[in-house]
Amino acid sequence: MPSHDAVVVGGGLSGLTAGLALAESGADVALLAKGMAASHWVHGGIDIADSGQASSSAAAAAALASLPGHPYAVLADDLPAAVAEALRRLADAGLPYRGGLDAPLEWIPTAIGGLRRAAILPDGQATVLDPWEADEGLLLVGVERYRDFWAGYAARNLAAAEWPGGPARVHAAVVELPGLARLRNLTPLVIARLFDDPVWRRSAWPLIRQAVPAGRWRIGVPAVLGLDRHAEVLAEAVRELGPVFEMPSLPPSVPGIRLHDALRRRFEASGGRLEIGFGVTGVERSAGAVAALETAAAGRPRRVAAGVFVLATGGLAGGGLRGLPGGKLEETVFGLPVSSPSADRWFSGEPLGDGVELERAGIRVNADLRPLDTAGRVVLDNVLVVGSELSGMRYLSERCGDGVALASGHRAGRLIGVGQRATATTTTTTTTRRTAS
Amino acid sequence: MPDVDVVVIGGGATGAGVLRDLAMRGLRAVLVERADFGSGTSGRYHGLLHSGARYVVHDPESARDCARENAVIRRIAPACLELTGGYFVATPDDPLDYAERFVPACAAAGVEVDEVSPAALLDAEPLLNRRIWRAFSVADASLEPWELIDANLASARAHGAEAWRYTRLTRIVTGEDGAVAGVELEAGRTGERRTIACSAVVNAAGAWAGQVAALAGARLGMRPGKGAMLVMNRRLTSAVVNRLAPAGDGDILVPVHTVSILGTTDVEVADPDDVRVTDEEVRALLADGDRLVPGLSGSRVVRAYAGCRPLYDEADVDAAHESREISRAHHVVDHGQRDGIRGLWSIVGGKLTTYRLMAEQTVDAVAGALGVAAACRTADEVLPGSEEGRSYWLGERLAALEAEGGGDADLVCECEIITSGQLQAELDAHPDSTLDDLRRATRLGMGPCQGAFCTCRAAALLSDRQGMGLNGSATPDPNAALLAFLAERVRGTRAIAWGDQLAELWLEAGVYRGTLAVDTIGAAGNGSQDGAPSHAEP
Ligand SMILES: Cc1cc2nc3c(=O)[nH]c(=O)nc-3n(C[C@H](O)[C@H](O)[C@H](O)COP(=O)(O)OP(=O)(O)OC[C@H]3O[C@@H](n4cnc5c(N)ncnc54)[C@H](O)[C@@H]3O)c2cc1C
Ligand SMILES: Cc1cc2nc3c(=O)[nH]c(=O)nc-3n(C[C@H](O)[C@H](O)[C@H](O)COP(=O)(O)OP(=O)(O)OC[C@H]3O[C@@H](n4cnc5c(N)ncnc54)[C@H](O)[C@@H]3O)c2cc1C
Repeated sequence: MPSHDAVVVGGGLSGLTAGLALAESGADVALLAKGMAASHWVHGGIDIADSGQASSSAAAAAALASLPGHPYAVLADDLPAAVAEALRRLADAGLPYRGGLDAPLEWIPTAIGGLRRAAILPDGQATVLDPWEADEGLLLVGVERYRDFWAGYAARNLAAAEWPGGPARVHAAVVELPGLARLRNLTPLVIARLFDDPVWRRSAWPLIRQAVPAGRWRIGVPAVLGLDRHAEVLAEAVRELGPVFEMPSLPPSVPGIRLHDALRRRFEASGGRLEIGFGVTGVERSAGAVAALETAAAGRPRRVAAGVFVLATGGLAGGGLRGLPGGKLEETVFGLPVSSPSADRWFSGEPLGDGVELERAGIRVNADLRPLDTAGRVVLDNVLVVGSELSGMRYLSERCGDGVALASGHRAGRLIGVGQRATATTTTTTTTRRTAS
Repeated sequence: MPDVDVVVIGGGATGAGVLRDLAMRGLRAVLVERADFGSGTSGRYHGLLHSGARYVVHDPESARDCARENAVIRRIAPACLELTGGYFVATPDDPLDYAERFVPACAAAGVEVDEVSPAALLDAEPLLNRRIWRAFSVADASLEPWELIDANLASARAHGAEAWRYTRLTRIVTGEDGAVAGVELEAGRTGERRTIACSAVVNAAGAWAGQVAALAGARLGMRPGKGAMLVMNRRLTSAVVNRLAPAGDGDILVPVHTVSILGTTDVEVADPDDVRVTDEEVRALLADGDRLVPGLSGSRVVRAYAGCRPLYDEADVDAAHESREISRAHHVVDHGQRDGIRGLWSIVGGKLTTYRLMAEQTVDAVAGALGVAAACRTADEVLPGSEEGRSYWLGERLAALEAEGGGDADLVCECEIITSGQLQAELDAHPDSTLDDLRRATRLGMGPCQGAFCTCRAAALLSDRQGMGLNGSATPDPNAALLAFLAERVRGTRAIAWGDQLAELWLEAGVYRGTLAVDTIGAAGNGSQDGAPSHAEP
């Protein structure tokens, strides 16, 4: 029967960050996750915060930290170290990112021709952050038959947009790439795997180059420049085409998958144990604390005991919160109290602007990330909550989802690392004794 | 000299049927519809071509009409039908004696039923409640409303009539003698006004008939009965399933293409445009749905919608009755006799199944008054598109795609198998289509994923056509259309926001807002030839 120092439930950005912090500090940590959740859907950049006004992520995060109940109110101190650690780990994993907390937030184009601000992007996307030269145009190159990159549509929208400091002109082209005509279910992953093949991509570059008109262009392409050999594909793309950057679109998101895979590899390399595919099916409690979890491994229930548990289940999108008919929310692993606006207000607000009120729902925690009930009392002593499972933010409008995931994961690792290991061991002992008797 | 003989108000099934009948009898007619054709109750109904059996006990007159028209529609509009067949089933919650009244009543109303053994039923429909103890098969079918309306309008046009969508009636003009002299219309997209002189007006505005009659100064008491329906994320049964009981909530499950639709409730509302679905309605439907298909409430509801029954408040109907008890048989109201407004008729009540019969009886009255003796031929002449006599089946589109050589890269909507070629063809024919119009025309976004991503692809396609100058001047802005769709998708999910459906919605919102920043796309620019804006070209 496995027993660990810590068990992390959830394998997204926050869970992997907490797991990495623990594993790197030498703890015996296991990570259980039902599935991939957000990572296959997100753009792959790292959003710390954006108020629309602030010049850097650090400034925007500081503003959010002053909002009562916002996760940054307790996480602000962890942010610089959390970001630095994440960038270091990603570079070590061969997926370097550019930018940082104090880097300026720059306007970048999206695959539908919208604009958002970003300051930390993977190298595959980061070229878009460079200032636009006076004679430099943006060329969007779509791929024939790949349905979810709309070069013409995006170009028309971008040309009509207010884009401060943007390119001199926007142009669209669509290229036919070899061998796609007969493929079914042409997702970005399929194309990315083709790019991984050096022989195939040698035939692709000239076709793309042909679509580039005379003049000076920076080229936006679908986010398909390789999966396992991305760094190699990217370097070759720059050699063959000049400045080029990826633009993520509808799922599955190749940059999101690369990010997830990179952290996952680091986690395992640091000695962490990873089990993806298993949801938590049961909880064993003892005296105000959690003793063990039960998972449905290969159909057979398996007991996983630990001294401390980190809940990183990602809120409504990740599966950590579940809506019930009639306007209630439940926390899916421990049944923790959920802090939520009343159901009649869930969908008030602008769905595409500020977002709807329901976005704020989640688990309320204290500065030690322990879950609280409505009266502000700690509900479970040895459970820490991180990432999008936390209440009080609107990660899409505030663009703070990744920053909160990193900072809370980092803080969880730190808290468990210092104070908790001792308690953890005692709890484990109690549990074992209980089971043995 | 009037511009036309008759103006028909309302582009639902009834109005389209009336227009076709008028045109086939040689009358010059034009139909006006305030929004898209089939955007009223006809496009928000349950989807069932009734066998008539549902009404045999309480409303035999309706039952007889349905049985008769069921046979007619099979003959004239097979292409709009999937011949699913149907069952009436008795669950343990249904009255023990209903079958004893049901069987003789079916015989009396001319509705064919065959008893089937519960074992045979469960063999054919394995998801149904295993405690069903009695079952009958009937001639129910799944009826595609937009195809039916389009076919009627196409036939009417072939006989010289016209049909204008996005055109609202704002006033019915009467002369000194109180007779109808014309109508005032307003084009919805441009706000342009026009007046048409005519000799007669047929008010086929369904649940809105009261509002339309008021535009002529006539009073017509309507009692719109809102009914809510739930779209389940897959096809739970292959035949229509009805409860063997007096009509109730959530007692019919209709297979419609790739999904099943459970319905319906019945709530009287003051305003027929008030078609919000409440939490109580959803709960009531699911509870009843579980009796038909155990566990149904645990599967995903991908959409909730409602429509309003065009029920008519006859003075002699006891107002205290629940609206389901009012006869749904239809009424042709002659406002000349009733209110002294000669040349105005309203057709109210009825069902989609009986649209043709309602049209026939209305046009009999109108033609008679206008001195036209031609007889009705709408039951004999097959509708355009149905000449081959074939009905559709699930998988037909997939088979067609395979026959073309396979490959799915051209698919815009995976659920309903819609290719960009199909959308292009629809846009060639109707260059001013909105995304919603495309939905009605092709079922875009009506499958299990409810347009999560195909809507975005369709908006891009609209924009590309705009870029190539292929669209009409009245083309809607693809960005505005996409944004309206997405906002509605979030808000419209309110009543069914739980479980996997809510999680799915959240993931989608994450992509649209987080990755695409869709909220920052403004009104679409007037694209130039190559996707580049002229002002930004060097
Ligand atoms: C919940 C529910 C389920 C049902 N299920 C079934 C079923 O399974 N089988 C069946 O046979 N029947 C069913 N019915 C009944 C059937 O849907 C209706 O009887 C039928 O669709 C009515 O068609 P219509 O053309 O009369 O009205 P509508 O389709 O409502 O058409 C009226 C049109 O008039 C337009 N209009 C209104 N005002 C104006 C104006 N000022 N100017 C121009 N146009 C105007 C409206 O926009 C509308 O499109 C159901 C009804 C409901 C509510
Ligand atoms: C589609 C999408 C787009 C987003 N875009 C942005 C953006 O642009 N900017 C921004 O700042 N933020 C964005 N976010 C916010 C995003 O949530 C964070 O950026 C971050 O990725 C969240 O990570 P997480 O680890 O908290 O949760 P997730 O990545 O959701 O991970 C949750 C994990 O928990 C597991 N899990 C859930 N329930 C159970 C259970 N019962 N048992 C076992 N495992 C379970 C899941 O399988 C998954 O592994 C977006 C979110 C989504 C969903």
